[in-house]
Amino acid sequence: MFRILKGAGGERVFRVATISAMVLLALFFLGIIASLLAYTKWDTFVSALFSEEILFAIRLSLMTATIAAVISMLIAVPVAYAISRARFPGKDIVDSLLDLPIVISPVALGAALLVFFNTPLGSAIDDNIIKFVFSVPGIVLAQVTVISALAVRLLKSTFDGIDPRYEQVARTLGCSKPEAFFRVTLPLARDGLIASGILTWARAVGEFGATVMLAGATAMKTETLPSAIFLSLASADVEKAIAVIFVLILIAVAALLVIRRIIGRRYRI
Amino acid sequence: MIKIEGLSLRLGEFNLKDIDLSIRDGEYFVILGPTGAGKTVLLECLAGLHHFKKGKVYFNGADVTRLMPEERNLGYVPQDYVLFPFIDVFNNIAFGLKQLKISTSEVRERVNKLADLMGVSHLLHRETRTLSGGEKQRIALARALAPSPRFLLLDEPLGALDLRTAKNLRLELRRIHRQFGLTTIHITHDLMEALEMADRVAVIQDGRVEQVAEPEKMLFYPEGEKVADFIGSPNILDCDYCRSLGQGVMEVGCGDMKLTVAHEGGDIRKIAILPRHIYVSETRPPGLSVNGFQGLITSIEPAGNTVKILIDVAEKSLLSEIPSYIFEDMNLTVGKEVFLILRMRRIRVYESSL
Repeated sequence: MFRILKGAGGERVFRVATISAMVLLALFFLGIIASLLAYTKWDTFVSALFSEEILFAIRLSLMTATIAAVISMLIAVPVAYAISRARFPGKDIVDSLLDLPIVISPVALGAALLVFFNTPLGSAIDDNIIKFVFSVPGIVLAQVTVISALAVRLLKSTFDGIDPRYEQVARTLGCSKPEAFFRVTLPLARDGLIASGILTWARAVGEFGATVMLAGATAMKTETLPSAIFLSLASADVEKAIAVIFVLILIAVAALLVIRRIIGRRYRI
Repeated sequence: MIKIEGLSLRLGEFNLKDIDLSIRDGEYFVILGPTGAGKTVLLECLAGLHHFKKGKVYFNGADVTRLMPEERNLGYVPQDYVLFPFIDVFNNIAFGLKQLKISTSEVRERVNKLADLMGVSHLLHRETRTLSGGEKQRIALARALAPSPRFLLLDEPLGALDLRTAKNLRLELRRIHRQFGLTTIHITHDLMEALEMADRVAVIQDGRVEQVAEPEKMLFYPEGEKVADFIGSPNILDCDYCRSLGQGVMEVGCGDMKLTVAHEGGDIRKIAILPRHIYVSETRPPGLSVNGFQGLITSIEPAGNTVKILIDVAEKSLLSEIPSYIFEDMNLTVGKEVFLILRMRRIRVYESSL
């Protein structure tokens, strides 16, 4: 039965099959974007885009995502380095645990956070230190929870790709362990750091599930761009939803372009 | 002086077993062994890159076993050089100097001086990835020498280089060694490289030191079967007379054989040549053949990838070793008359009688 798949015929069939799969998927995405364009009218689009509510959502999203990305990177650099280099018993378990937030639904993570802030310890933090529940810091916390695992994963592969002998040579040249890390490993990881930072930031901009659970989606208070889409559609304001979708697409494309440039230079994922 | 006492370490596939070595001040010490013998791991132990529970390392009498690599003041040149790709050649050489508390102008001065010495001054502002193997090796050396280390550790410094570059660097390494008087440990799997460069050689096999000796001694009196196998039982001939032919070439007589060798200086008492440097041919080699002889095959013995052939020449027995695939293309049998060439450049000569 598979006789036809042997030899040059097989190669042709295989080529056609894989390339058509690629083309179909690309057409699918193009179709979605085209339907958005078909649905929207330019003047209502512009007025929706520059409405006070959407401008607020853009500002809030960019601010929270930037803070969340910075915090995540600061946490992820030492964690990823430890997973990549250190050898200790139970490392595999810790490693798998750190993968969980990537596979678990963000809604579940957000709900779990909300539950945490209802425990005595959690509510003590919420009441006395920083108010997270239904507030802007809650958005940042939700985003950090979702994206820090991603940042660790991306940075781990960066550190894995750096030959530990660079650090060893640096140490024979008089660097202490921390000096070797800052003088050699970080510069070697630079492209990886930038790419991971942008990817986690873009992921934070798009975060919805955990955010809406912990911080809610109150207009002009905790309304991020994804929340804005949700709220617009919930109130049947499709024009507004489409405007926000385009803003999100624009941000994503910009992030991908920057990463492409970096990859084109040196970095490999 | 470097002293290693009872060092044992298991690291993945490598297993160092009870290593005892002592390297004298100013010595050019070569550690010789096949791939996987544990040479690199041993060197890394000296550099402080591995922790080991059994054994001690002393530098000039002081116990340094627990010192961190940065506290040992060693010049270390790893295999494949490991130059830093994110900075240019100048900053690579200056890397260790910047850890010392010296002024920028002094750093620049010392880098320039070393670059000059290593002949890489014209490369100072180049990126490292555009350099050739030989250039990289010189820069890695300059980088290691820059902070004025106590000892120099070289891991297969000539391994990845083409023959001509390797030959130049071999001379240069000896020159640097003389100039700095720096105790140097050099790792290699290449017997000829070890014999040519070393003051003393240590043969390591399966993580064990099998023999430590001067190159000639190692060649003529290998201890134990393992070392003898690795060295490959050289042909050693006593010389009855010798006569200079000028231009660094001498004619020596060993019984009825007359040989031309590259040598300048005193009378030659012995010559040695490895079996793999004696070529065998069924027909008379064309052209002028230096050190060409005719002989009779007395035995043929396969040995792994090679075949060992014993040939009687002028009442002497010479051992030749040729790759199996070449042997299979020839029609060699015991009792057959063959032609052989002793490669002139590969003949080692000894003035002392040992």
